[in-house]
Amino acid sequence: MVLQHVWGLFTNPKSEWVAIRDDECTIGKCYAIHVMILAAIPAISGFIGTTQFGWQIGAGDPVKLTLQSAGLISILYYLAMLVGVYSLGWMIHWMGSTYDADVPLSQCVVLAAYTATPLFLIGLMELYPVLWINMVLGIPALAYTVYLLYTGVPIMMGISEDRGFLFSSAVLAVGLVAFVALLAATAILWGMGLEPQFTR
Amino acid sequence: MADQQTYNYKVVRQFSIMTIVWGIVGMLVGVIIAAQLAWPVLNFDIPWLTFGRLRPLHTNAVVFAFGGSALFATSYYVVQRTCHVRLLSDKLAAFTFWGWQLVIVLAAITLPLGLTQSKEYAELIWPIDILITLVWVSYAIVFFGTIIKRRVPHIYVANWFYGAFILTIAILHLFNSAAVPTSWQHSYSAYSGVQDAMVQWWYGHNAVGFFLTAGFLGMMYYFVPKQANRPVYSYRLSVVHFWALIFTYIWAGPHHLHYTALPDWTQTLGMVMSLILLAPSWGGMINGIMTLSGAWEKLRTDPVLRLLIVSISFYGMSTFEGPMMSIKTVNALSHYTDWTIGHVHSGALGWVALVSMGSLYYLIPRLFNRELYSLKLVEVHFWTATIGIVLYIASMWVAGIMQGLMWRATNSDGTLTYSFVESVQAMHPYFIVRFLGGAFFLLGTLVMAWNIWKTIAGAKPATATIPAPAAAH
Repeated sequence: MVLQHVWGLFTNPKSEWVAIRDDECTIGKCYAIHVMILAAIPAISGFIGTTQFGWQIGAGDPVKLTLQSAGLISILYYLAMLVGVYSLGWMIHWMGSTYDADVPLSQCVVLAAYTATPLFLIGLMELYPVLWINMVLGIPALAYTVYLLYTGVPIMMGISEDRGFLFSSAVLAVGLVAFVALLAATAILWGMGLEPQFTR
Repeated sequence: MADQQTYNYKVVRQFSIMTIVWGIVGMLVGVIIAAQLAWPVLNFDIPWLTFGRLRPLHTNAVVFAFGGSALFATSYYVVQRTCHVRLLSDKLAAFTFWGWQLVIVLAAITLPLGLTQSKEYAELIWPIDILITLVWVSYAIVFFGTIIKRRVPHIYVANWFYGAFILTIAILHLFNSAAVPTSWQHSYSAYSGVQDAMVQWWYGHNAVGFFLTAGFLGMMYYFVPKQANRPVYSYRLSVVHFWALIFTYIWAGPHHLHYTALPDWTQTLGMVMSLILLAPSWGGMINGIMTLSGAWEKLRTDPVLRLLIVSISFYGMSTFEGPMMSIKTVNALSHYTDWTIGHVHSGALGWVALVSMGSLYYLIPRLFNRELYSLKLVEVHFWTATIGIVLYIASMWVAGIMQGLMWRATNSDGTLTYSFVESVQAMHPYFIVRFLGGAFFLLGTLVMAWNIWKTIAGAKPATATIPAPAAAH
């Protein structure tokens, strides 16, 4: 069923993780019923927000992006999220042997996909970009994502909580490094002439 | 002499306590200037409270007073314990303690008065530089003298890192601070123009590489295995990583001068060496993490181990970020933005401060023969510090990217889209979050200070008899 685990991850995360594990979802199905739908939220919201409403800095007019520029960025953004979830899943699978976790790649991708749920949902706020409100809402969403990671890893990877703590921290560190790599890649793309085009 | 049967713990105790004192002072000044950036009215129009004067006070206090005291304390402890011998000279060691404290006090007086030689991380005026030289040479004599009279054949790898740090800082300090005095308070640099800039950043980046990295790796190689109660994961890797790191770091300075008057080939060389540096840095990180991984069953119950593993993780993260930022195309966007500030603090708070604090939690109970007052408070410290770092670096990432984009945004007619002050205005929310992050970190340090105070109040200083070295292996 489409999006069936989203609600439970917020109301009762631990038992929901067990249910997700017992589903034994394939990568394709996980993407179809979860990732591809949820990743569209920030991509589409961002497109509408940056072209229709724009964001305001100081007392100036709102800054907007051209439709073409925003369209290109939104598509890249969407693809980056799809690739990002899979890559994180792949890294989890690769590190798994260090922590004596023996689960198929699909389960690791599912873990990455469901962990990211709060971040996908909070993407809705990009519809109307007010920087400080986005930040105030974004921080708890980020915190809950980290919480989901720490509860999800021992259950999905079938290891003890002691070991899961270290594993989760390693995943978090990999996530941070990947984020920095993404920042650098973005800066390089911008430097090569693919900067966002503003309407002002 | 009966004295020679015991270790000199007195100087270690003195430096350990001052590490915490200067940590609080330095971080407090940091929080104040972070608040000033968010709310400039906090300058109160008093010259010596302005950002320009307090900022060097902050960097000197956290790097040289807090970090420096931690390095003195741990290096004196480690070199004695691993060489099975008392420090070369108690008097000279005491001189390094009082001399270093005097340097710090003089810095705290001169910098707010606006007395500076205008070199970043080497602001102190030339008479203080001479005092630093005297203290540092004494430090080198005590440290290497102790190694020379060691009772074991082997020199443990932590001492290699400490030794490299002491030697290199001596050279860097002498060359970078070479100056022609015009009065007691003022001097001109011995170099001019772009050479001066290059010497400055050769010094500046190796202050990071040797003061803030090599020395603290020495700390990691002693205290992580001790706290985890396990041998180093790979001793071979530690030695390879030592030589690779020492060789590569010294070349990385030019990446601070991308797109300046510095010859282009020098910039590219600096960038390439910075990228290569990722390999030895991660060699060290992997060695630290794998040493801890064997003790995973302790991680949930031992908050000190957790401080250490988080510090090594931040070391890995920031040594990945650094090479990325040294790439010219990335640097074109990131340079002069707050991304740099965030990067520095993920290294300084995440790595340097946390590994020092983890080491102090190990050290202080042993120096005073007491159990740590409360592990629960270490746990509180761990979480407040971690949350503080994350708030700090996340806000600076967003702020930096925004600044970079706004500064280079142009309209179709080629004019700049934003004035500079608009970009400053846009930073307001991120500067508030950064202030909160710093305040959290400071709060964690205060919790630590309370915990340490309760641990040592009324305690008698410990004396430790030097054990006979194990049989040769």
